[in-house]
Amino acid sequence: MSAPLSQFLREFGFVLLEHRGHGLFALLSPAPAWLVELWDLPQHGHAEISIAEKSPFLESFLSEADAFWNSNHKGLCQSETWIEKSPSGREVPLEAIALQLEGKRFLALHSSEPQYQERVQLLQTARNSLLVHESLQREIQKKEILLHCIIHDLSQPLSVMSVAFDCMNDEQVSERGKGLLELGKKASDQQMLMIRDILQVFSADLKASLDAQGKVESGPDLLVCAKSTLNAFIPVFAAKSVKLHLAETSDRQDQWRVRGEATRIERIFSNLLENAIRYAPAASAVTIGLAQEGEFVRASVDDEGSGLPADLTPAQIFALFSKGKESGGKAGLGLYFCRLTVERWGGAIGCESLPHRGSRFWFRLPKFVPQVDNNAQSAKPMPTRSSVRPLPAKKYPMRILLAEDQTEIRMLTTDQLERSGHHVVSVANGREALDALKHESFDVVLLDEDMPVMTGLQAMHAIRDQQKDLGPMVIVALTGYNSDPDRERLLRAGFDSVIGKPFRLDALDTLLHGASATEAEKKFATPPAQTPIANLVDHVGGDEKLARKMITTYLRDTPKRMSAIQKALKQKNGQSLASLAHAIKGSVSIFGADLARDCCEKLQELGRANDFREAVPLFEHLKEEIAQLEANLRGYAGQQHSPRPEASPKTKRRNSNPKR
Amino acid sequence: MIQKKICMLGSFAVGKTSLVRRFVESIFSDTYQTSVGVKIDKKVVQVKGEEITLVLWDMYGDDDFQKIRWSHFQGASGYLLVADGTRRATLEKAQALEERARQEIGPIPFLFIINKCDLVEAWDVDPDLEARLVAKNWTILHSSAKTGEGVDEAFSQLAQKILG
Repeated sequence: MSAPLSQFLREFGFVLLEHRGHGLFALLSPAPAWLVELWDLPQHGHAEISIAEKSPFLESFLSEADAFWNSNHKGLCQSETWIEKSPSGREVPLEAIALQLEGKRFLALHSSEPQYQERVQLLQTARNSLLVHESLQREIQKKEILLHCIIHDLSQPLSVMSVAFDCMNDEQVSERGKGLLELGKKASDQQMLMIRDILQVFSADLKASLDAQGKVESGPDLLVCAKSTLNAFIPVFAAKSVKLHLAETSDRQDQWRVRGEATRIERIFSNLLENAIRYAPAASAVTIGLAQEGEFVRASVDDEGSGLPADLTPAQIFALFSKGKESGGKAGLGLYFCRLTVERWGGAIGCESLPHRGSRFWFRLPKFVPQVDNNAQSAKPMPTRSSVRPLPAKKYPMRILLAEDQTEIRMLTTDQLERSGHHVVSVANGREALDALKHESFDVVLLDEDMPVMTGLQAMHAIRDQQKDLGPMVIVALTGYNSDPDRERLLRAGFDSVIGKPFRLDALDTLLHGASATEAEKKFATPPAQTPIANLVDHVGGDEKLARKMITTYLRDTPKRMSAIQKALKQKNGQSLASLAHAIKGSVSIFGADLARDCCEKLQELGRANDFREAVPLFEHLKEEIAQLEANLRGYAGQQHSPRPEASPKTKRRNSNPKR
Repeated sequence: MIQKKICMLGSFAVGKTSLVRRFVESIFSDTYQTSVGVKIDKKVVQVKGEEITLVLWDMYGDDDFQKIRWSHFQGASGYLLVADGTRRATLEKAQALEERARQEIGPIPFLFIINKCDLVEAWDVDPDLEARLVAKNWTILHSSAKTGEGVDEAFSQLAQKILG
């Protein structure tokens, strides 16, 4: 039986060996050339072969084969492909099959070079494709981050253009110029929408990615996270002879529960510790500290290295792709994602050099507030219109602090706000904003989110910390990340309101009016009747000089604007109508001329909708109101000292409920 | 002479074959050539003044096309668990393979090699991963089959671990 079987298998390229016990096998036919070459066999004879000496792979396979032979199962036991190397260095792919016939045990060896090469080619192609796929996915991820940065940078000059167009509205511009101006405004608005759409898509993706990594409402214990990370890092620090410890901290239950997710908080600690170990000298200590900070819990990692690099500001350290020169850090994404994560949970992150030596990296997160509604998305409710903190000031103009790093935007915004009569102090970053607050109080603080030295978010948190001393104020974020999730993030972080950049000044104007209205509603629940003049003098804090200046400006500009509205109505130019109505609306608002303001608002809406059916009678109504207001104002402007002029009966009636 | 069987374990294209070739033949090729079967090499090394022969079982990468046959680990004294430092997924895969190896063959000495450390710009290792693994008593080495960095150390350290 063995001989015919051997002959049969030989036809298919197999060589048959019969098991003789003790690891010895006998060749049942002359050895083929490849086996002679591999095992250095004699050309003739059927010598018994010790498999273990010839092939470690077969020696191992024999255990499997033995198990198969002893099981008395029918069929075959086939080996994996393995590659044997001949004394000359040639590699030969082999396969072995264990089989059993008539109580005898056999091993069939097969060299299948063509099939092997075919299989290699197939797997090579498949795995190459997988590698290309992986590489493309990484590239896409990098590109997405870059795209976000580019889009954000694009929005900066667009802000300048948008504000400049707004300012030009107030200048003497020829008819042709006005047409071009409208064209420019339309284009900048379109681009603004495109940028917003792109950011919306990007933020949705990023949010999905972050959400996929864990829910945020679990209220993890920051102390537990710190201890867990510390334990994991002790061997790493010990290897560098750096002591890692947790500063003495209360372990009272629930004291350290924060908004966030445990795994990602540990990741933040890990990133900060990774950073610390890079700079900590041998025999120094790295300390993790926790502290209560009002509505927040603050965590810090202190090292005793050389302090923060002189060439980087704290804001730059947390920026995308930021790397210290001597850090040996990786892609510069670690601290960037720490910032992204912490800020998404309404917290802040920062760093500073310590007074004597070393540096401190810290982050803080809002304390966890258990939810009443299990279906609610966040621990801290989203500020709604009614929860916006009211303006403390009842006067007009407002005292506004503007922190914006981009000179052009800062200059133009300041100019426009001042033209509207506000008192504006403008600074270039969050740190300067805090300095300004030491010397002066403000009703509204406008903070650009992305600024060097100190970001808007960091400044907002610092202001909130000192708010008891500083007094109430409205803090508004100006942000280039103006998608809905980003707005939510900033509101959750503690801003009262958010204006997306690039922004039109009318948005800011509306916000400022809206903010002051909240206070006005509270203040004048049963309001005394006031004349436009009384309103104005009241709004400007009794500053008659300023009041007269504003009246003069109003009396100079309004007739021109009214003529322009008439022209816009004739030409059925909706955009122009909306824009002019808006401009007049802002002016009449400060005099408390409600009916005039309401007319303007309706005209603005009609203009935006290109609906002229009711525009003409409405304009006639506005003309009446404007004429009445003008008469009042001219009367006052002619007087030298009259802080509280008496109102005419008509005006009294009309302004009996001065919402604005 | 003492012989010790060492297996190479990891995802495809992490550099298992390149590490063996660098160690045994001091050769490196930039072209990726996938391994389909098992290839066995030998190298004599000195450990604690004693010569031992390392029998290196270079295994194909575990993926959807080829699954590791744990019977190959029979008689192994230790293994090198290899991942590619530029492909985060291979580090995760390595952790899964280690767990599987423990179930299949029990606790035997191993070293975790994060290969391709010459590709600094593309390095994509989770910053806290190494700390976490060290905390689990893993020994981790960074290597580059291309430059040879860490290669001899990896085999030598594993041999020392095996000999206790």
